[in-house]
Amino acid sequence: MFQVIRRAASLPKTHLLKSAPAFSTCPVRFDNDVYNRKEAPKIDNETVLSLPEEARHNAALESTITVPAKVDLTPISGVPPEHIKSRRVRIYQPAKNAMQSGTNNINHWEMEFDNRQRWENPLMGWTSSGDPLSNMKVQFRNPEEAIEHCEKNGWCWYIDTPKIEKPMKPKSYGVNFSWNRRTRVSTK
Amino acid sequence: MAAKQAIQVGTKIVKPVLSTNHAEARLRVLSLYKAWYRQIPYIVKEFDIPKSENQCREKLKELFMTNKDVTDIRVIDLLVIKGQMELQESVNMWKQKGHIMAYFKPTEEPKPKGFLSKFFNSNE
Repeated sequence: MFQVIRRAASLPKTHLLKSAPAFSTCPVRFDNDVYNRKEAPKIDNETVLSLPEEARHNAALESTITVPAKVDLTPISGVPPEHIKSRRVRIYQPAKNAMQSGTNNINHWEMEFDNRQRWENPLMGWTSSGDPLSNMKVQFRNPEEAIEHCEKNGWCWYIDTPKIEKPMKPKSYGVNFSWNRRTRVSTK
Repeated sequence: MAAKQAIQVGTKIVKPVLSTNHAEARLRVLSLYKAWYRQIPYIVKEFDIPKSENQCREKLKELFMTNKDVTDIRVIDLLVIKGQMELQESVNMWKQKGHIMAYFKPTEEPKPKGFLSKFFNSNE
């Protein structure tokens, strides 16, 4: 912003400037073109009034830094260390409901943790577990997202690939009577 | 089925959390450590914990050193922010005695070492 003002101030006051057209014939409109400006550029109050340290800090937040591509969130995720190193994550596609439900609800990938100790409550017979991650199921659109999530959190993972579907053999009634298939069971 | 680790190499460009370089992040960590160090006598006295100042200093150093291998600037900044929040909680007495003692893990049983003690402790 300041550069624009400085440049405008340094422009020579020649007759060339005076003879510049009042309107532009160019179809492209340049925002930082000095001739198009009717007033000084607006600077918001916070920028003007901020202390130099604050201004430096805000400018730093606008900039970018270079970090390693591998992100490790284990120090800040708050997960206890014994649940990071010793857990194994299974990434899988949920199976279809065996009943007549549709298949639109299985078009995603899920992750789940390995099973930990469970015990039966001696008084009520309820099943208990001390595992905080036992019921954590997260859904992902594709396995790459799941892998990235596990990598970030430091979990060991494996992909449980679904079994390859058998190619469907078309059945026909006529094959029962074929002469070379030995499918005729009657005496004739 | 075999467990594997994705290999991610290289760098990427992101927005900073607080610091823009390692030197700045290091300064923040050091100033946080100093602030905790200076607060320890007050913590010992006000929370009335059964620990000496030296034990608290050792624990402070241990807790800081657990994250000594963190290299990501953003993660360091977030750790500093979290540490700052905890310091504020203990300075303003928003924490209680148990919260301070939780750093020392008084209820955690030592892990079994010998074969027999491991065998007796195993539930699987």
